[in-house]
Amino acid sequence: MNRPAYREHTAASHGLASCHVCAKVELMSETTCNRCGATLHLRKPRSIQRTVALTIAAIFLYLPANILPIMTTESLTTGSESSTIIGGVITFWQSGAYPVAAIIFVASVVIPVLKVLAIFGLCFAARSNRSPISATRVYRMTELVGRWSMVDVFVVAILVSVVQLDSLISIKPGPAALAFAGMVILTMLAAHSFDQRLIWDRSNRHEHE
Amino acid sequence: MSLESSPHTPELIACPDCDSLFVLRSLSDADRVVCSSCSAILYEHKRNALSRATAFALSALVLLFVAHFFPFLSLEVGGRMNEIVLINSAGALYDFGSPWLALTVAVFVVGAPAMLVLGILYVQLPLARGRALPGAIVACRWVYDAGPWNMIEIFMLGILVSMLKLTKIATVHLGIAFWALALLIICVTASLGAIDRSDLWGRLEVAKRRP
Repeated sequence: MNRPAYREHTAASHGLASCHVCAKVELMSETTCNRCGATLHLRKPRSIQRTVALTIAAIFLYLPANILPIMTTESLTTGSESSTIIGGVITFWQSGAYPVAAIIFVASVVIPVLKVLAIFGLCFAARSNRSPISATRVYRMTELVGRWSMVDVFVVAILVSVVQLDSLISIKPGPAALAFAGMVILTMLAAHSFDQRLIWDRSNRHEHE
Repeated sequence: MSLESSPHTPELIACPDCDSLFVLRSLSDADRVVCSSCSAILYEHKRNALSRATAFALSALVLLFVAHFFPFLSLEVGGRMNEIVLINSAGALYDFGSPWLALTVAVFVVGAPAMLVLGILYVQLPLARGRALPGAIVACRWVYDAGPWNMIEIFMLGILVSMLKLTKIATVHLGIAFWALALLIICVTASLGAIDRSDLWGRLEVAKRRP
C-alpha cells in the first residue's frame, strides 16, 4: 500500500518547502530559495544520522572534560596545583559560595547530560508517532539551554589571560578546557542538524493505513 | 489598511516546528498568528520593527567599541596591575600557548556579536530608504546564522565567576568595558527581538527588485 510520506495539511504534503532561513514557502521543484538564495530542503538532509553522530562524538568528549584538569595554577608560594570542573565546584561550595557552585555544577555537569538525553529522545520521537507536542517542547528547550555550558570555558579563558604575573602566580589551561569547548560546540551542532519537523511527520500516518 | 497597500499580500506560511501549512490574509491587522497544532508563533506583527531594530543596533555598535577596546577586568597583586582588554585577550591566550581558547573567545565573544551588529546595520540602514546594498541578502543570512553563536551573556557570567575566584589571590576591579558589555547584551537582545522577520525579508525582496 502506498502510504503518504507526510502528515496531511503540511507544506511537504503539498510539495512545498519552507526556506529554513527566510521562511518563504517555495515549490519543491526549486533547488534554492528565490528570495534569500539558501538551499531548499524538504527536510534537513540525513538529519537523524548527523544528529546522532555529533551527539556520540560529544559523549566521547564529556568524560575527558570532567576527569582531566581544566586548569593549572602555578604559584611561588603553593607550587603547582591542577583542578577539575568538579574540584572547582567543591571549592566554591566549601568556601560558602553556594549559588556559584550550583551554577557551575548545573551548567557544566547537569546540562550536558540532559542535553544529550534530550537529543536522543528527540531522535526516537522522530521515529515514533507519540506525543509530538511534548517532543517539540523539549526541542525548544534544548536549543535554549545548551550554550550556557560554555561558561566554564570562558572562566578559564579569563583567568588564563588575566593571571599572568610571571614568577609570582600564573594559570595555564588544562586539556579539559578544550574537550569541554568541543563538547559544547558538538552538541550545539547536533541540535542544529536536527530537523524538528521530523517529530510531526509520522504523527497521523496511522489514520491513512 | 487595504490589502493592496499592505506590504503583505496573502501568502503561504509553513510552521517552522511542525510544517503545517496556512494561508495568511491581510497580516497587518493581526498581532500574532499561532500554529493550531503545535502553538509555535508563525507571525508576530511588530510596530516600527525596522527603526527600532536599527536604533538598538546603532547603540550596540557604540557599546561594542567600548566593550572590545577598554579593560573589563583589572587585577592588583602586591602593587602590580594587570588589565584585560577583550580584543587583546584572544591574542594573549594565543601567546600563552592556548590557541584553542583564543579561537573560542575570538569567535564567540568578539566575532559573533560584531557580525550580528554590523550585519543588522548593513542590511537595515539602507532599507530605511528602501535600498539594499550589494550582498545585503548574504549579510542577512549571516545575521541568522550568527545568532546562536553569540555568547556575550555567557561570557558575562564567566567574568562574574572568575571575579569570585580571583578575590582570593588579588584585588579585582571591574572596568568600563564590563558595564558596556552588560548594556551591549541588552541592546543586542532588544535589536534581535525587534526584528520582524517576514517584514525584513519582504522589504529586502522589494528593495532588490528596484532598479
